[in-house]
Amino acid sequence: MDKHLFRYHGIKPVMAVITILVLIQAIAILVQSVYLAKAIVGMYEGKGWMSVIFDFCIFFLALGIRQAAQWLKTNISYRFADKTARYYQNLLIEKMLELGPRILRKEGSGNMITLCLEGVPNFRTYLELFIPRMISFVIIPLVIFLYCLRLDRLSAFVLFFVLPVLMLFFVLLGWAAQREKNRKWTSYKILANHFVDSLRGLVTLKYLGRSKKHRQSIQTVSDQYRKSTLRTLRIAFLSTFSLDFFSTLSVAIIAVFLGLRLIDGEMSFLPALTVLILAPEYFNPVKDLSNDYHATMDGLHAGKNIHKILNMASPVDESEETEISRWDENSQLIIKGLAKTSTEENRPLLKNINLTITGFKKIGIIGLSGAGKSTLIDILAGFDQPTKGKISVNGVNLSHLTHRTWQEQINYIPQHPYIFSGTVKENVRFYAPQATDKQIEEAIRLAGLDKLVRDLPQGLAEIIGQGGRAISGGEEQRIALARALLDPRPILILDEPTAHLDIETEHDLKERMLPLFEQKLVILATHRLHWMRNMDEIIVLDQGQIVERGTHDELLRRKGKYWELVQAHRGGAGIDTLSKVHSSVF
Amino acid sequence: MILFQKYILPYFKQYKGLMMATLLLGTLTFLASCGLTFTAGYLITRSSEMPYNVLMVYVPIVLVRAFGIARPVSHYLERLTSHNTVLTILGTMRVKLYDALEQQALFVRSRFQAGDVIGTLSDDIEHLLDAYVRTIFPTVIALLLFLFSVIALAIFDWKFALWIAICLALIVFIYPVLSLYLLKKRRTDLKEKQGSMYRILSDSIFGITDWIISGKKKRFTEEFTNIRNGAFNLEKKMAAWNQLRTFQLQVLTGIILVFVGVWAGMEAQSGNILPTYIASFTLVTLPLLEGLIPTSEAIDHVPKYQESLQRIDHIQQYVYEQKEYESTVSLPEKPDIEFKEVNFTYKEGKKQALTDFSLQIPYGQKIAILGKSGAGKSTLLQLLFGTYVPDRGTITIGGHAPVEYGERITDVLGILNQKPYLFATSVENNIRLGKQDATKEEIEKVIQAVKLDEYIHTLPNGLETQMEETGQRFSGGERQRIALARILLKDTPIVILDEPTIGLDPITERELLETIFAVLRDKTVIMITHHLIGLENMDNIIFLDQGEVMMQGRHEELLAENSRYRQLYRLDSGEDVL
Repeated sequence: MDKHLFRYHGIKPVMAVITILVLIQAIAILVQSVYLAKAIVGMYEGKGWMSVIFDFCIFFLALGIRQAAQWLKTNISYRFADKTARYYQNLLIEKMLELGPRILRKEGSGNMITLCLEGVPNFRTYLELFIPRMISFVIIPLVIFLYCLRLDRLSAFVLFFVLPVLMLFFVLLGWAAQREKNRKWTSYKILANHFVDSLRGLVTLKYLGRSKKHRQSIQTVSDQYRKSTLRTLRIAFLSTFSLDFFSTLSVAIIAVFLGLRLIDGEMSFLPALTVLILAPEYFNPVKDLSNDYHATMDGLHAGKNIHKILNMASPVDESEETEISRWDENSQLIIKGLAKTSTEENRPLLKNINLTITGFKKIGIIGLSGAGKSTLIDILAGFDQPTKGKISVNGVNLSHLTHRTWQEQINYIPQHPYIFSGTVKENVRFYAPQATDKQIEEAIRLAGLDKLVRDLPQGLAEIIGQGGRAISGGEEQRIALARALLDPRPILILDEPTAHLDIETEHDLKERMLPLFEQKLVILATHRLHWMRNMDEIIVLDQGQIVERGTHDELLRRKGKYWELVQAHRGGAGIDTLSKVHSSVF
Repeated sequence: MILFQKYILPYFKQYKGLMMATLLLGTLTFLASCGLTFTAGYLITRSSEMPYNVLMVYVPIVLVRAFGIARPVSHYLERLTSHNTVLTILGTMRVKLYDALEQQALFVRSRFQAGDVIGTLSDDIEHLLDAYVRTIFPTVIALLLFLFSVIALAIFDWKFALWIAICLALIVFIYPVLSLYLLKKRRTDLKEKQGSMYRILSDSIFGITDWIISGKKKRFTEEFTNIRNGAFNLEKKMAAWNQLRTFQLQVLTGIILVFVGVWAGMEAQSGNILPTYIASFTLVTLPLLEGLIPTSEAIDHVPKYQESLQRIDHIQQYVYEQKEYESTVSLPEKPDIEFKEVNFTYKEGKKQALTDFSLQIPYGQKIAILGKSGAGKSTLLQLLFGTYVPDRGTITIGGHAPVEYGERITDVLGILNQKPYLFATSVENNIRLGKQDATKEEIEKVIQAVKLDEYIHTLPNGLETQMEETGQRFSGGERQRIALARILLKDTPIVILDEPTIGLDPITERELLETIFAVLRDKTVIMITHHLIGLENMDNIIFLDQGEVMMQGRHEELLAENSRYRQLYRLDSGEDVL
């Protein structure tokens, strides 16, 4: 049972109204069946249709009321579900923005989008279906049973006892099917994914000259998949079968019992016919419940995931309380004893970081993958908060840098800047919507984007990003650079800006980025050594710790970690150093 | 409709037996339902006449029980058969789709840029399961049921049967078509809105750092809420129509039942049927309509399948009749490669991708090709594979044009790409793709050569380790080594390396390159790369720019003569800093 269900805002009145409607429905079902039986019996007894038309009218009226109640019921529950889904979608999105890039990446950005766009509608379906179905399931069979009890005890008992048996089989077989499915899950998944796996690897197969022969394997695996699916379905369908079987058979049994007792004269025609008409109605709610079982379960599951995300601890927000003054050449950032532990693995990412950063210095952070560069950058940019440690900016004490007034001072250029779905112009002026065309053109020229813009058929109005024209990694960087040029801020943070680019583009971009470094605090993390000459201070990270600090020359003279890195990178020192550095890294 | 003829109808013919069985069982299910109600109604009416002997109602008693059992059984069998039928069809469709994609595997990326084409296509095929099970079968079964009931009724009274046929047609034809038409516009609107919702949301999630830093979170939330409200309102309207439709159809059921009831009463009075059958005829309306009403909902899904079929059709349009090229050329053992004034322009492109490109690669040479994206590196590769033929000039491998080798070109050229695909099977199977009949010793030898033997032997399942479950376990460098082992096993005289070290850190990169060049010592190697590191021992380094050779030469030559190269080399090696 869903523990959140009763806590949704406004659910109680909705349930109350639906309960009343279901009661009306139940009574309408009785009236409808009784008058239909009456009309039939009347006609059987030889009355003309004119004399039973009154019974038919009542029957029709009751049917109308019943269906109207049904209509109202679905409408009300849909409205409620719709309202609640909107509310939770908003909460979910606000929460995601609050959680920040790090947690989103960990949870899987794609999963988050799916949860928001598909999970929420599923959740809506669950709310829409579950409440009326559940209430109908409780009330309608009960009312029909009580009425049948008055008409014919034996039939009522048949109905009464079949329901739990039917439910028992339904649940047991459903459970067995689930077990069967779980047992074969791994092999089943491999079979199910084989096709998409083959398509994704098609280029590789083609290059290996195996693509033609692989066709056979698609056929074989499809066949295996079909067989294994059918084996599972054979059991899975049994649970619906049991429902079908018991309900249909009990109607048949009731009909036979009624017939036998009619022959013996123990009953009269009218009540017998009424019971026969009512018997299928008795089972309808449980059939509805089982028909929507999967949709309901998907929605329930989505609801649980939504609550899981909403219950996650948000980063502490103290932006309102403290104001961080604008960074200038005399500013000072002091970090003491900072550490970051990854929450799920309890593995230290950063250990005991002590740093003082002043004025418009250029700080290079270097280290191999996994050394903690990105974690440190995320903390410095305020995307993530440290587990412990003290930070002070210009004398203001803070526990983290997730402050609006800090982030407003940062230009950030990551390895893969995100390109929004929109025109080149919109992308470039993302940070500075008020920029004039002239300023934009200037930024585009300085970033080296002018050639691209000239080649695009629509120029600045060309749509790029998702659904638009694809652009290369170097062009992405240029867009990010142009963004920073249009909205210059006193702090520039770069996270591995050029490592993935070809050497010529890298060279060109570096030349264009360097002028932007002036009169700014620059923090640049990379494993590309050439940037280090442009840095005032180099921080060498290894396994989450600062192992060396100093200028390039100082560090080279010291012949420590930095020197080893330089040697290994150039390959000059041979395998010896290489393996030495490597063993310290892994 | 054309799509229906192209992708649905042929399978009806191909799998006639299975289809017939499914439809028969489906119709039988409803007929059993009707039969149960009909005979039960008769049984009770007849019994109420208190016949002197139970045997008088013996037949209806047996029939009631038989129908009571037949319905669930045939329903169960119908579901199994329908799934079996559809899964068989999907198997055939998968093969067809695979064939279509296989032909154009090397173009797919450029032809169908947007998003995850492969994932969507494979989902599209899965959607067709629903198309059959939830739409096609129920609709056809409803039609059969419709025909059956009208014909059965016509035996008693053809005029009334005609009237009922009109009433039922409302349910089976008019309402479904009407809904389809009414919702068409809304459905398109909704799709568009959902598309923008997706775009806006993924922009915000993937571009979250920019939203945070720009301080414009609010603007985003507002924009999203606006579009979302639009989409949800549309869905609400569509749901409201569905609710209204259900109500109308149910009321219609009531009306039809009254018609049938009154008709049965009149028929009994005029002696055309026995009064014992009044209850049967009246009551049988309910289970019958239960089989017909779902048609509307079934038809509602049609547009969804149409989209899926359109996408599949889109892929098929590029398929052309391929003549099997029987290659008569014997495989060269130590082929030289020669490009002679090669010119090439893509059909869809306006700029020349390669201009007067000439290059000789004697067997065993190591060549590096560099250039910005779009410089013509991948064009060279495609030309070598014979995927494209030069507009002007010639390419020969061992004295023959690449196309002359036909499919066997892959025995001449091996390739290690940027992100080699490793299939969701064991490590051994992945390596074995290089040579299907390789012995255990051969495989051991190659994993030793790529220096993976120690690591793999520490894994509990060794070579049997599944790639799938080790998505995390194998690092980028290790994955490249597995792919390299595959190439080695294939043992082609020429190996192309397409940026094999991108995304690896410098030390892993260097180690991998050392292994690569050690194991490929005796082969021709063409390496497309973005770094200069490790190029000191190459026989020729070529810089491409917009389809033309910009610099060319050995490392020492270029270093001595070319200041641009010197600059780039110093930047790359970090020598700048020394």
